[in-house]
Amino acid sequence: MKMPFHGRYLSIVIICAILGGAIVVQMVRINYTIYAQQLIAKSEDYQGIEKVIYPSRGNIYDRSGHILATNQVGYELGIDLKFVADPESIAFSVASIIDDMDYVNVYELANTEKRDVENRYFVLSSYVSKEKIDELARLKENYAERRQEQKSSKPSLSGLVWYPMQQRTYPEGTLAANILGFYNYFSRETAQGVYGIEESYNRLLTGKPESVFMPNDPYLVEALPDTQPGASLVLTIDRDIQSMIEKTLADAIEWSDAEGGTIIVADPKTGEILGMASTPYFNPNEYWKYEETFPGITPYNRAIGTTYEPGSVFKVITMAAGLDSGVVEPSSTYNDASGVYWVANSWPIYNWDGGAWGEQDMTGCMQHSLNVCLAHIAIDLLHEDLFYQYVQAFGFGKSTGIDLASEANYPLRLPTSNQWVEIDLATNSFGQGIAVTPIQMVTAISAVANDGLMMTPHVVRSVIDRGQQYDVTPQVINSPISAETARTLTQMLTVALEEEASDALVEGYSIAGKTGTGEIPTEFGYTSELTNTSFVGWGPSDDPQFLVYVWLEKPSISKWGSVVAAPVFRDVVEQLVVLMRIPPDNIRLGTANE
Amino acid sequence: MKQIRNIWQNFDFWLFSAVLILSILGIALIRSSIAGNLELVDHPQRQTTFLAISLVVLFVVAAVDYKYWMTLIQPMYLVTMVFLLFVFTAEARFGAVRWLEVGQILIQPAELAKIVIILTLANFFANRDNRILKFSTILRSAVLVGGLLIWIFLQPNLSTTIVLLVIWAAFLWITGIRIRYILIAIGLVLFVLVIGALTGFSFLEDYQKLRITNFLFPDPDARYGETYNVDQALITIGTGGLFGQGYNQSTQVQLRFLKVRHTDFIFSVLAAEFGFVGTVLVLLLLVVVIVRCFRIAQNASDTFGALIAYGFGVLIFFQSIVNIGVNMNVLPVTGLTLPFVSYGGSSLLSLMLGIGLVESVAMRSEKRTE
Repeated sequence: MKMPFHGRYLSIVIICAILGGAIVVQMVRINYTIYAQQLIAKSEDYQGIEKVIYPSRGNIYDRSGHILATNQVGYELGIDLKFVADPESIAFSVASIIDDMDYVNVYELANTEKRDVENRYFVLSSYVSKEKIDELARLKENYAERRQEQKSSKPSLSGLVWYPMQQRTYPEGTLAANILGFYNYFSRETAQGVYGIEESYNRLLTGKPESVFMPNDPYLVEALPDTQPGASLVLTIDRDIQSMIEKTLADAIEWSDAEGGTIIVADPKTGEILGMASTPYFNPNEYWKYEETFPGITPYNRAIGTTYEPGSVFKVITMAAGLDSGVVEPSSTYNDASGVYWVANSWPIYNWDGGAWGEQDMTGCMQHSLNVCLAHIAIDLLHEDLFYQYVQAFGFGKSTGIDLASEANYPLRLPTSNQWVEIDLATNSFGQGIAVTPIQMVTAISAVANDGLMMTPHVVRSVIDRGQQYDVTPQVINSPISAETARTLTQMLTVALEEEASDALVEGYSIAGKTGTGEIPTEFGYTSELTNTSFVGWGPSDDPQFLVYVWLEKPSISKWGSVVAAPVFRDVVEQLVVLMRIPPDNIRLGTANE
Repeated sequence: MKQIRNIWQNFDFWLFSAVLILSILGIALIRSSIAGNLELVDHPQRQTTFLAISLVVLFVVAAVDYKYWMTLIQPMYLVTMVFLLFVFTAEARFGAVRWLEVGQILIQPAELAKIVIILTLANFFANRDNRILKFSTILRSAVLVGGLLIWIFLQPNLSTTIVLLVIWAAFLWITGIRIRYILIAIGLVLFVLVIGALTGFSFLEDYQKLRITNFLFPDPDARYGETYNVDQALITIGTGGLFGQGYNQSTQVQLRFLKVRHTDFIFSVLAAEFGFVGTVLVLLLLVVVIVRCFRIAQNASDTFGALIAYGFGVLIFFQSIVNIGVNMNVLPVTGLTLPFVSYGGSSLLSLMLGIGLVESVAMRSEKRTE
């Protein structure tokens, strides 16, 4: 033995043995303790990825099957720095093929030093059409061939990548935009319907996303499951009617120089909305420009999202209450001797023209839209309890439950509230001091047009899911008045229109209707000359098939509903009877002279 | 003739067999760990070629009496130094210059340096039996080690630097350094560490600092970050279980979640595909190699031979323990390979050359090392 120090040699061997033993201990620990379970659990992260497959979003059709919303494939274009070999070619091809792409910007992105950035993937454009992508793909292939011929590494588009994605598209552009809402597809996984149908039926349209485990091990890969596309919706909206009222509304706003407006066409028998036009509107295909059209808190759909003081159209409700409760009959008279009605001897109520109209029956009261007469009915005959009972029965103060997102509602000020004062009863009777949405007004008055039955307003007619069509059943909300009252009132309002020789009259058709001129409260009270002019009418009077509601906000050619809203109503109905194929009364009722 | 047969009778077949099995197992594991990577596809074949060359070298070296090397030590030392200097002209790979390109073959002179240092130190201490306790002896040996070490350190190649320091320390220990010198040395090391800490370890490369901080304070949120490789190694070992997932079957390996599979983390591949049983088997083989080296050292006919065998035993032990420790996340990532098993021509060649030397010592010992 020539080793100098045997003891030290032994110590080396012992150290080796101890460390060797430690390895075995650690091996056992890694393989057989709780630590092992943790490691195995961790390894499962690497076995594959959980991927959620989103079904294609359901289409939206109008009532006769025209497509209003569907999907198309677009591409996200991006740069994956890991594979970029030739930034110049990438920048050049992108800049020359894709609009609004800048050579310098793209070059700088593509030329980013790989080590410097955490994220090696940049999105160039979130949405590129298939045609452009095809062009890029062809170029990429050409370059690849050229590289092979020249045996060089350039030119190359490698690193320029694209992924398909679904884009929501609205082929009719702005048509029915306020009803449809939009789908913010750029948000990808978190995309959802915003406003309108897209929001309220988001879950149905989206369908059921399926979660799939995609293993990295090629031997374990299975076929992707078939996902059921989201349900499609058939709307009650008629494309032609919608288009017609949108155009009529635009013309009317221009003619009357109004700030905005709404036209709603509904079927009072079912509550189906046939058309609903509102301002402002925009093109949902460019939903990212939302703020330009709807700055701040502008409601997306004025017809359901804005409350206003309706004015005289509300007299229909007061009169319906009076007739139904029996406190007045059509022949009842009211003597308007002075043109003023004193509420609790303190607050005077005047007629619209400040004049006195003498003795009038109920039809006259409506025809001349006498505030004093209606205030008398509400205060002296109905009294507060009965009046508000009826107002609530007509659904005011509650949402109508229309199947669109973002419906507004302004709570009623009731006598039980300490903010209520007696003058409220008087002003409410002719539609002031009460805020309603257009859709509330339409829903309430449809009861008068539908034998006293108030139907839930709705825009979806049927749902098509997995090849099955499920029709939406019309639903009765309430029956605030009797069928007899409804018919009587319709008759009265038909006569009133005819005798007034209203601008709303449509030749050949008997129409019931009422104008409204709502004063707009300012911070100093009703001091403004600006008004909300409206008209609600339905017909044909003997068997109402449509109810049309027109509201023009702050027109400047006139403050009166009879001057501004009534002719617009007539325009709509004249076209509507053609589109709905409703023959003139004499032909329909067989009373035409040969 | 008789004499030749006699010396081959002393050839240590235990040692040779263990080394051979380890190398062949290594080739098999390298083949699996390629996992379809086209750039690595020729690696098993290259390693096989290197193994064949290495075996020839082993037998030639074993046949030659190791005492002849004494006269060659000075030239070898100088040549190695020249090689190390040459490396600086080579292109940097993975952030450090370590390879020297000779024709088609890349050589890591640092691997060669390990052998040369062992031979040099063995020679040095064997010739100073009587003056061994003097402090000047320690200083002289330090100069010898430092002459090669400095160039390796500057490459930068911290792991080989540490290996050389460990070999030196092992030599000092076995040749009887006084305990108080050890205390002085520990004090010096602490002093250097404190200075280093104060200067922010400016002599370390960024990646070296990162490895150490990541080892000491791992970031729990880092999925693809700096702890990725070690995490993956642990997961890979953990999925192995008792018998492993089977050759070519480990998902961690075949799906390439585990990186540097064929070199630094080949132990993890072994654990994943052959399980606990497989790793224990390899550990036993390594134990056989180390134990045989130490026994040969004990039975050597002179101090020079004893120190050679001892030095190699320590080298193999240290590399093994560090590599496995890294795989199991008990040591920071170093880049030391698993002896005989990991891919690497230079490493295999120099290790086999070393084994050849050890065999040469065994064959010329006074008694059979059975």
